[in-house]
Amino acid sequence: MKFQIPIGPQHPALKEPISLRMTVEGEVIVDADIRLGYNHRGVEKVAEEKNWTQNLYLTERICGICSHSHSTCYVQGVEKLMEIEPPKRGMSIRYLVSELERVHSHLLWLGVAGHEAGFDSFFMYVWRDREIVMDLLEMITGNRVHYAINAVGGVRRDLDRAQIDKILEGLVTLKARSEYYLHIGANEPSFVARIAGVGLLPLEKAVALCAVGPTARASGWPRDVRKEDPYAVYDELDFEVATADTCDVLGRVVVRVKEVLESYKICEQILRNLPAGEIAAKAPRKAKPGEVVSRYEAPRGENIHYIKSNGTDKPERLKVRAPTLGNYPATVEMLRNGFIADIPLIFAAIDPCICCAERAVVLTEARTGEDRIVRLGDLRRQALERHPQAPLKRNAVWPF
Amino acid sequence: MKIAALLPELLRHLFKKPATVDYPFQKIAVPEGFRGTPYLNPAMCIVCRACERDCPAEAIEISVVDEAEKRFRMVIHNDRCIHCAQCVDSCPTSPKAMQIDNLHEIADDSRLKMKKEWVYVRAVIKPKAPPAPPAAPPAAQAPKA
Amino acid sequence: MAVLRTLLYLFVYPGLLFLFVYSTFCEWFDRKVFARLQNRMGPTHTGRFGLLQPVADIIKLLAKEDIVPEAADKRLFGALPAFGLAVVSTAGLLLPVWNFDLAAPSFTSFQGDLIVMLYLLSLPTLIIFLAAWSSTNYFSEIGGARVLTMLFGYEVPLFLAVLSPAILAGSWRLAEIAAFYQARPLLILPNLLAFAIAVVAVQAKLERCPFDIPHAETEIVGGTFTEFSGKKLAMFRLMFDIEMVVASGLLAAVFLGGFPGGALVGFLHLVVKTLFVIFLLSLIRAVTSRIRIDQVVTLAWKYLAPLAVLQLLIIILLKGLLS
Repeated sequence: MKFQIPIGPQHPALKEPISLRMTVEGEVIVDADIRLGYNHRGVEKVAEEKNWTQNLYLTERICGICSHSHSTCYVQGVEKLMEIEPPKRGMSIRYLVSELERVHSHLLWLGVAGHEAGFDSFFMYVWRDREIVMDLLEMITGNRVHYAINAVGGVRRDLDRAQIDKILEGLVTLKARSEYYLHIGANEPSFVARIAGVGLLPLEKAVALCAVGPTARASGWPRDVRKEDPYAVYDELDFEVATADTCDVLGRVVVRVKEVLESYKICEQILRNLPAGEIAAKAPRKAKPGEVVSRYEAPRGENIHYIKSNGTDKPERLKVRAPTLGNYPATVEMLRNGFIADIPLIFAAIDPCICCAERAVVLTEARTGEDRIVRLGDLRRQALERHPQAPLKRNAVWPF
Repeated sequence: MKIAALLPELLRHLFKKPATVDYPFQKIAVPEGFRGTPYLNPAMCIVCRACERDCPAEAIEISVVDEAEKRFRMVIHNDRCIHCAQCVDSCPTSPKAMQIDNLHEIADDSRLKMKKEWVYVRAVIKPKAPPAPPAAPPAAQAPKA
Repeated sequence: MAVLRTLLYLFVYPGLLFLFVYSTFCEWFDRKVFARLQNRMGPTHTGRFGLLQPVADIIKLLAKEDIVPEAADKRLFGALPAFGLAVVSTAGLLLPVWNFDLAAPSFTSFQGDLIVMLYLLSLPTLIIFLAAWSSTNYFSEIGGARVLTMLFGYEVPLFLAVLSPAILAGSWRLAEIAAFYQARPLLILPNLLAFAIAVVAVQAKLERCPFDIPHAETEIVGGTFTEFSGKKLAMFRLMFDIEMVVASGLLAAVFLGGFPGGALVGFLHLVVKTLFVIFLLSLIRAVTSRIRIDQVVTLAWKYLAPLAVLQLLIIILLKGLLS
């Protein structure tokens, strides 16, 4: 007997609102339908009203976990439009923060995966150790999230010797703890029983559905913008792209922990070879007209920003394609033929950052299939008219 | 595949102090360079309005109180502020008129209580004294031989 | 005099008052141990050391709005939490704590009260299933189906495991089993395998990690308890707490030698032994992650039940050797 379960928009498995309607038969999922749009904030429209510097902070706030990736992807594009080259030291500091953000994001994800599977002790331990990274980032940038370290033309703050030593010390502790978590995550029988063989995405399907990030790398596809299209300092650094062959959630756990270990290597290389010099180049207020596409490897996959300028101090168009948006079709494929018990894990395994992916929504009329544009004032008025006439549904019993 | 792989670690933690900081009875000090709330040093402000223009949250409002006396009012709306410190970076004076402290426990139950206001006269930056005249030119050219 | 003792037994110790107070203390102990294992603090500020936290939670729930879904069966919906509480409290009365005479059976201690206790501890599962069924919510239905599937898994190993010490002691009466092991403490050792199986099965009965599948928060919202709120949810939570005390009391009576020595010394024995069992339950809860429902059934029938049968064989051999 088939029936539809709504997972979301409000559900404890989801950290952000998204509607997944599953058609289930018993405990097996037959089909899934993803509906977006609950977290849309109009960021791209607001970006057209703010100048290049203000947009640094706006793009950062597209997401909380991958804030630096959006800000950096944007600023890479703007620097190309303005034809300025940030100095080496500034670039190194910027990408050091990028790698530390990758570490923090993957440790956060590891804890959340443990929590979704019911492994609360693992969750608590991983997040306790993530505090080391958060404190390092607070020391470098002044804040634990929304680092605001980018300036158009470089970075805003410098690193001194004491801070560099503290970072290296923190990295040593983190490396030992990350290896321990890899050992636990791959060996605790009840946890492995939950994540092995779950959410299978074979390599051909991953390529056909354009999966990005660790979701694709766990299917054995070594996609990484840092290697394919190296930007800034990455062509001089020695690191490997982490892949796994199991194509399931266990593979994604392994890929992310291996990436964390690679990030420690990258951070150490950057810190030991930090060149002396300026941290920022002077940026003009207006950018030359043109358009640019900027790619960046965010913790969740490939992040693409398209910026179009018309010669003024405000962008004409900013379009953001967040990595999670690229993973949604692959998610639907992974959910088919899974169990209900696996839904939170499969969905969490793509590391969904739903607010990153909420850009523009097109609503189509269910019967005719056409769409129309409605002003917000009209929508609000329609809702206010409908509400008093809707029938009262509750049967509440008030205590005391 | 080990059964109860986490067990030794768990038992060890029974005897350690918890990692939780018992806020608000214990607090952690914020690091140096933490971005708290912005404030104005009115003696240095030349009302160039760079901070007002660059603030992403439109949290700085400068208005004229008296045109003749060059008296201005600046209101910083701390309920709109996103603590990015771009105003500090944009401020061109030295030492900076716009600075940021490290207060972070600024929550209040009404937005209206979170605004700070200064009324001041625009500072006039005295032009720097011209550099001392160059040292007397070296002795006149050696007489031609 | 006998009437006074009976009333004291029913309402104070080990009756309702004791069960309510001690079960909140045990919930505090469980939460504190669970937190300390994870390097956290656990309840700290409500009352000294956070002892009043479970009481505060129940009072808070009692004060919340009590919503009944329109399509739900109202009488069943309202009666089930009270039933559950009544059933586990009655099971608590059968613990051999005091006021029993080994020679003369009474209404709280008689031949076969082991079976009655196990039966009374199985009823809450049925009550939870009915609660889920009467909620008419998809998440509750799935939770209810899972709770019954789990019952098919752990019930047989639990019965077999509790049977072993009873066979060795040669009696179906909890007080006599406890007295047998008090007299011969060394005979507790052959039953250790059964103790381990019983602890795992009790963890499943109490629906705690790794077996908290029926009310798995991250999968099916509240599972069986999705639609319950306010007073009814408070009663269900209290039911689980009392079930934890009664189940660990059962394990302590059957495996660890019971509660000898009358009212006061028996009380100390009760506290120490039940806290030991609850410590083991918290440890299991912290060490593992939740497993899937099909894996529970596989685990129970592939590993727990054969091990329980093996233990039974060992006990029968031992009994033959001893006599």
